[in-house]
Amino acid sequence: MKRACLLVGMTLAIACNRGPATTSTTGKPTVALVLKTLNHPFFVDMRRGAQEAADRLGVTLQVQAAEREIDVEKQMQIVENLIQTGVQALCITPSGSREIVSALVKAKDAGVPIIVVDTRVDAKAAADAGVRTETFVGSDNYEGGRLAGDFLVKVTGGKAHVGILEGIPGHETGDSRLRGFRDAVKSAPGITIVASQPANWERDQGFNVFQNMLQAHQDIDSVFACSDLMALGAIEAIAAAGRRGKIKVVGFDALDDAKKAIAAGTMEASVAQFPAEMGRAAVESAVKVMRGEKLPPDINVKLDLVTRDNVK
Amino acid sequence: MTIAHRAQMTAAAAPRGQLLLPARQFGTLIGLVALCAVLWILTPHFLTVSNLLNVAEQTSINAIVAVGMTFVILSGGIDLSVGSLVALAGVVLGTGLQSGQPLPLALALALAAGLACGLGNGALISWGGLPPFIVTLGTMSIARGAALLFTEGRPISGFDESFRVLATGRAGFVPAPVVAMAVVYAAAHFVLSRTTFGRYVYAIGGNEEATRLSGVPVRFHKTIIYGVSGLMSATAAVILTARLNSAQPIAGMMYELDAIAATVIGGTSLMGGDGNLGGTLVGALIMGVLRNGLNLLGVSSFLQQIVIGGVIIVAVLLDTVLKRKNRT
Repeated sequence: MKRACLLVGMTLAIACNRGPATTSTTGKPTVALVLKTLNHPFFVDMRRGAQEAADRLGVTLQVQAAEREIDVEKQMQIVENLIQTGVQALCITPSGSREIVSALVKAKDAGVPIIVVDTRVDAKAAADAGVRTETFVGSDNYEGGRLAGDFLVKVTGGKAHVGILEGIPGHETGDSRLRGFRDAVKSAPGITIVASQPANWERDQGFNVFQNMLQAHQDIDSVFACSDLMALGAIEAIAAAGRRGKIKVVGFDALDDAKKAIAAGTMEASVAQFPAEMGRAAVESAVKVMRGEKLPPDINVKLDLVTRDNVK
Repeated sequence: MTIAHRAQMTAAAAPRGQLLLPARQFGTLIGLVALCAVLWILTPHFLTVSNLLNVAEQTSINAIVAVGMTFVILSGGIDLSVGSLVALAGVVLGTGLQSGQPLPLALALALAAGLACGLGNGALISWGGLPPFIVTLGTMSIARGAALLFTEGRPISGFDESFRVLATGRAGFVPAPVVAMAVVYAAAHFVLSRTTFGRYVYAIGGNEEATRLSGVPVRFHKTIIYGVSGLMSATAAVILTARLNSAQPIAGMMYELDAIAATVIGGTSLMGGDGNLGGTLVGALIMGVLRNGLNLLGVSSFLQQIVIGGVIIVAVLLDTVLKRKNRT
């Protein structure tokens, strides 16, 4: 039996000599899009935009995502595996701004150009590791936070007790939105931030964390959630506490559910990003890089504020 | 998979000189080879030296955690805290390194933290008389909370190259994590098959009461078993931290399930007393190869979860059938 095993092993070893091909079976160049997750509508939209661009430009798109948004190690494995398939360009939404650099080093070593989407890579960590990214495609999250903050100042007349639901601590996306929001409300001395806690991007945690906030701070009259899922959770908590209509909710992402809530009047506003646009721009950039064209360091995708006045 | 596997019996009778995999583990090995063959046919990218090393490297973390899990499951217990201990030990390591401690001290602190938590688990289980499921469920939450509290939820990143070499370095062409995995398996296999302690692990899992009555200090050994599991988690944490260049308090989530899956795919009985580390290594490789292969094939990540779940069930089913045949 041991001999049989050895034999199998040797056969496999000989088979190893089949060299890696560099194009997909269809002969079209392959672009990889590695997302944080696919269980969030934001990334599903991004994939749709990317796929449309890939079809139009005649490239094969390989989309992969970790099961959970926060799983950097799994995302790294996906990048390593995709490098093995000889993809010609890598578009990635990093699960961790610093952690992903280790994976990007491998892409760099394999000569795969990198396009960063949505969440920036930590500039210092990348520089230290000698990683060069072709471009960053995304919205300015700081600017989005400011939009939300300015809007809240306007609708509250500059007087509010605000509770904030943060994303996962240490995430560049959430941190920037938070900074933008805080900077914007600084201009209004009547606005105090009474509580600010992470709800890790999730709806159920948004519910629980905000419920607890309401217990601790009866005076909360406004919420800024760094994502709509958390905002939607907060809306449920407000309803459960019987305070519907008394607390103004501002979210981020303009998800369909959030737009419905805005139309229904349970939510004030949400900052709209255009993930499909990001996906499209990412694939277009990848194709340009493969053709040897130069790219600007930043490709800004527009932001917009969805309110009761313009909600569709 | 040429490691000798002899100690799948209880302390009562382990036949000497049997160097091959027992038939039941052969089933798993055949499964791995078949899986590789299928992937080889389906994609030219699978069976290349660089991809196989890539798979081995990716498998190393789960494989090392699964060593501890195998000890625990062999003794008839379960350890749900391993993933959280990976995070906690990683955070201890990261803090140590960042505060300028010398590398050996930081490593020792991290390993000690894992070991201490594991021993704590074991002590509560054996002297407190609590079910392992409950105790480790509790410490799973405590260790995770401690790691988050300690770091205020933020990852600690950016370490010296002298440390990162533990993940990025290569011995010849073999990546350092694979070397670490090989060393851990060799050492743990030795302990399990050649030492009195190893015999007691099987004996406790086979029949704890009988083992106690025959004068074996069961409580002491059970405590050590969970200590081993904690130590393995901390070892995995070192590799993970070096690999990501970051210690994350949210690292290692669901690692307990991956480790349990590797162990049971490898033919270790959840009832305890039966199984071995060779099987666990094959089990971990099956999971690693599967994830890698599905990535290479560009299979949707949702479908991947279904496939992996299916393979766990099929592997254990096959194993059970083989065992039944073996008995008759």
